[in-house]
Amino acid sequence: MAGGIDRRFVYNVDWVLLGTALALALVGVAMVYSATHSGRSPDLYLKQLALVGVGTLGLVAAATVDYRRLADRAVLLYALSVVALLYVLRFAPVIAGTRRWVVIGGFQLQPSELVKLAAAIFVAKVFAEFRQETLGLRDVFVPGAAVALLALLIAREPDLGTAACLVPLFLSVAFLAGLRMRAVLGLAAVMLLLAALTWPFLKDYQKTRIYTFLDPSLDPRGAGYQKIQSQIAVGSGGLVGRGFLEGSQAQLGYLPARHTDFVFSVLAEEAGFVGVVVVLGLYLLVLWRMLETARLARDRLGAFLVAGLAGSFGFQVVYNVAMVAGLVPVKGLPLPLMSYGGSSVLSSLIGVGLVLSVRGRRFAN
Amino acid sequence: MRIYEDLRVVQARLAVLQALAVALVALLVIQFWNLQVIRARHFRDLAENNRSRLVILAAPRGALLDREGQVLVDNRPSFNVVLVPEHAVDLDRVVTRLAATLGMGEATLRERLARRQPYRPVVVKTDASLADVAALEARRLELPEVSVEVVPLRSYPLASAAAHALGRVGEITERQLELAEFRGKGLAPGSLVGQAGIESRYNRDLMGRDGFRRVIVNSRGLEVTEADRQAPEDGPSLTLSIDASLQAAVEKAFEGRAGAAVALDPETGEVLAMTSTPAYDPNKFTTGIDASSWASLAQDPETPLMNRVIQGTYAPGSAFKLVAATAALEEGVITPSTTFYCPGYLAVYNTVFRCAKPGGHGVMDLRHAIARSCNVYFYQVGIRLEIGRLAKWAKLMGLGAPTGIDLPSEVGGLMPSPEWKMRILKTPWYAGETVSVAIGQGQVSATPLQMARIAALIANGGRLVRPHLVRATAGRPVGGDTPVSIGIRPETLAVVADGMRMVVAEGTGWRARLSSVEVCGKTGSAQVVAKSRLERTPGIHELLPHGWFLAFAPADHPRIALAVLVEHGGSGGEAAAPVARQILAHFFGLDRPASPGAAGVVDTEAED
Repeated sequence: MAGGIDRRFVYNVDWVLLGTALALALVGVAMVYSATHSGRSPDLYLKQLALVGVGTLGLVAAATVDYRRLADRAVLLYALSVVALLYVLRFAPVIAGTRRWVVIGGFQLQPSELVKLAAAIFVAKVFAEFRQETLGLRDVFVPGAAVALLALLIAREPDLGTAACLVPLFLSVAFLAGLRMRAVLGLAAVMLLLAALTWPFLKDYQKTRIYTFLDPSLDPRGAGYQKIQSQIAVGSGGLVGRGFLEGSQAQLGYLPARHTDFVFSVLAEEAGFVGVVVVLGLYLLVLWRMLETARLARDRLGAFLVAGLAGSFGFQVVYNVAMVAGLVPVKGLPLPLMSYGGSSVLSSLIGVGLVLSVRGRRFAN
Repeated sequence: MRIYEDLRVVQARLAVLQALAVALVALLVIQFWNLQVIRARHFRDLAENNRSRLVILAAPRGALLDREGQVLVDNRPSFNVVLVPEHAVDLDRVVTRLAATLGMGEATLRERLARRQPYRPVVVKTDASLADVAALEARRLELPEVSVEVVPLRSYPLASAAAHALGRVGEITERQLELAEFRGKGLAPGSLVGQAGIESRYNRDLMGRDGFRRVIVNSRGLEVTEADRQAPEDGPSLTLSIDASLQAAVEKAFEGRAGAAVALDPETGEVLAMTSTPAYDPNKFTTGIDASSWASLAQDPETPLMNRVIQGTYAPGSAFKLVAATAALEEGVITPSTTFYCPGYLAVYNTVFRCAKPGGHGVMDLRHAIARSCNVYFYQVGIRLEIGRLAKWAKLMGLGAPTGIDLPSEVGGLMPSPEWKMRILKTPWYAGETVSVAIGQGQVSATPLQMARIAALIANGGRLVRPHLVRATAGRPVGGDTPVSIGIRPETLAVVADGMRMVVAEGTGWRARLSSVEVCGKTGSAQVVAKSRLERTPGIHELLPHGWFLAFAPADHPRIALAVLVEHGGSGGEAAAPVARQILAHFFGLDRPASPGAAGVVDTEAED
């Protein structure tokens, strides 16, 4: 039965992955509390907690659904994604200079977050159809163009961060599917070239971000501010941190976007290097269990689906944390599971649910 | 049916992805180790800089009191508007808004900001009005980087009276900031320090120690809490020897005149009053004087910033005869009863040296020569003494070197000698010069303070006092050094003093006579141009000689020694003696002007 719960499914639930993901989400709630408790909306952490609850329901639902049934509707999901993104570009209200959110029943929803999931299903389905051992560039052109269309639509909002997530998603699946190493490297080169070509089309604020990343002192009050303040927060945390609710950068408001994109700075300041290592360890554990699931998957479709989700998840974690540490330019990219924001939490937890779905069905027929 | 797909490639490549994940996380951990462990201290400092602000609590400078405890200089509370530029998100906007709120020019404001030190609050307006403070308070949330501090401001209730003695405060200069004296006191550009007079000389004592508040502010600059506080230590008050009431009398006596006067306690050298006119109002300096006001004071040909008492050097004129008489008696060149005949001139060394009285004084002994200020008598004395012995005694009596008063920038005047002339002018000494020097003309020059000290020396039995202004610090007496005798025989001093008594009783200084107190004095005129030229062009104020009057009183047990110099006032008897009388009358609580002929023979002829 398609939607039924196999008895073996329960045996095969990856409790470690589930527990780790939920633990990270709860650490996130605590950090959101720390970042906002003295501000104008001290109740945001409760909202985040509720969202984690809703996300967990989504996770259970996603885990229960057979991913193969989902994959059967991959083209439909892709089409829906394109329509949703077009709708956002056409009708969504402008918030902070961008069109990213639609309001449904009083909730702000960011379709691009859910599009990532649809893209993972779509890409997995397409590559699972290939029957040959190795793939050339020509083979990946069509799915690549399809994903590029999604990325382009998201980038138009503009939301470069989320758009960029589709690249590692696609690449990791293509890589697993047997794309020749030459082609992988070639593809990476093409990506870089494309990135260089987009330079003239970047908005001024985006260019400024890149300039000031290279030299933050150019504009210590403007675009360099976030990087400087984040590094100060991280560095001043020291080995064991300033203590929960004791980080001056976070508590006195020097840290920008401290409950969203820079939530990891709050953690680094208040929990120190020790806290950073623990939380990064948890993220690595999540990634590891995901990739392990891909290895154990009963079919290529499952392996690819998990790999795509892991690719995008891993990229987001690494990029966000690297941004907090001042290693890469500031981009509006939330930290999966921890950053405040309903769509991101929902999408991350549903993604974990999909991974659980694959693992739970490793022996199913 | 189960179809197992071949997943070997997938599994092999998954291992690569897992390795990649581990490698990336490891890279991040290394970066966090770098930031949080290796560079933690650096970032901790930056975080501290972010959140904490140092608010200086200025220590009130010590007050200056007169000898009776009356306030001469004090502080009043005032408001300073300060800004920490580093905490402004948009400095341009803040400057524009602040300039509009305070009604000041944006350029002035930017100029002040340009001279700042990192993270130090910049004072953008000193002594702001209550209206300014109210306007800023209303914009507190718009201008969080701006704050108002209550600081003590120096206040001089006497205004220009005794301004040169008391001094003034002003912004510390770049050069002063380098000096050891000012280092390590938390002074920054804009800090006020003593810049003249007692304020400068005793700056270190008066400053006290500034305190501070370290406050924690949020990212909008609003104070959240106070982290640390150190209360300021007030500067101790200084009790001066100045007698405010006498000082007022001196100021009054000098109204409309340019010149200087200083009154000493002849026993101790304490300065009872000191004035130099024209003066300035030190209150104008307390908030940092603007450039144009400064320029007009500094470039004024009347030099109001100069303390003439210790920086003005004038030919002592006939007042120098006290020195010549003392030297001649001590060296045995003459006795008190030695007489010379004055025909009105002396022709010697191929020159005709004239006496003030064209017809001559006739036969004079020393006392009368002093009383009438006979030049010819002292020409003869000078010829017999010769420059060496004259210079020796002049120097013993304190000429040619600063007195060591506790005020900055005192000058020493000049007592010429053959050695000096050879060294500086590279020409030999002419005997004729000694003749001029003997009556206080030629190269000899002295400050009013040096001359007052000579009056004190004759009054106190031959001891050279060190004039000073500070009696006590924070109520504890400052031990003055005991004046040392310079070895003049009492008989000599008695004769010179008697001559000075006769100056007032029946000589050139009669205008200084008091009804019930016997005053000893000596007139003098410091020629500005040769007498012949003055006679050709009468009525030009700038060419008139400076009038001197030295005095002490009462004749027995003197309690006050005085030097008065009136610039371009004419002869000492006419210009300076009446001023001296006014001062002495106040000191002894008397009044009524003196009239000629009250005590026998009075010589009202011109003197010099």
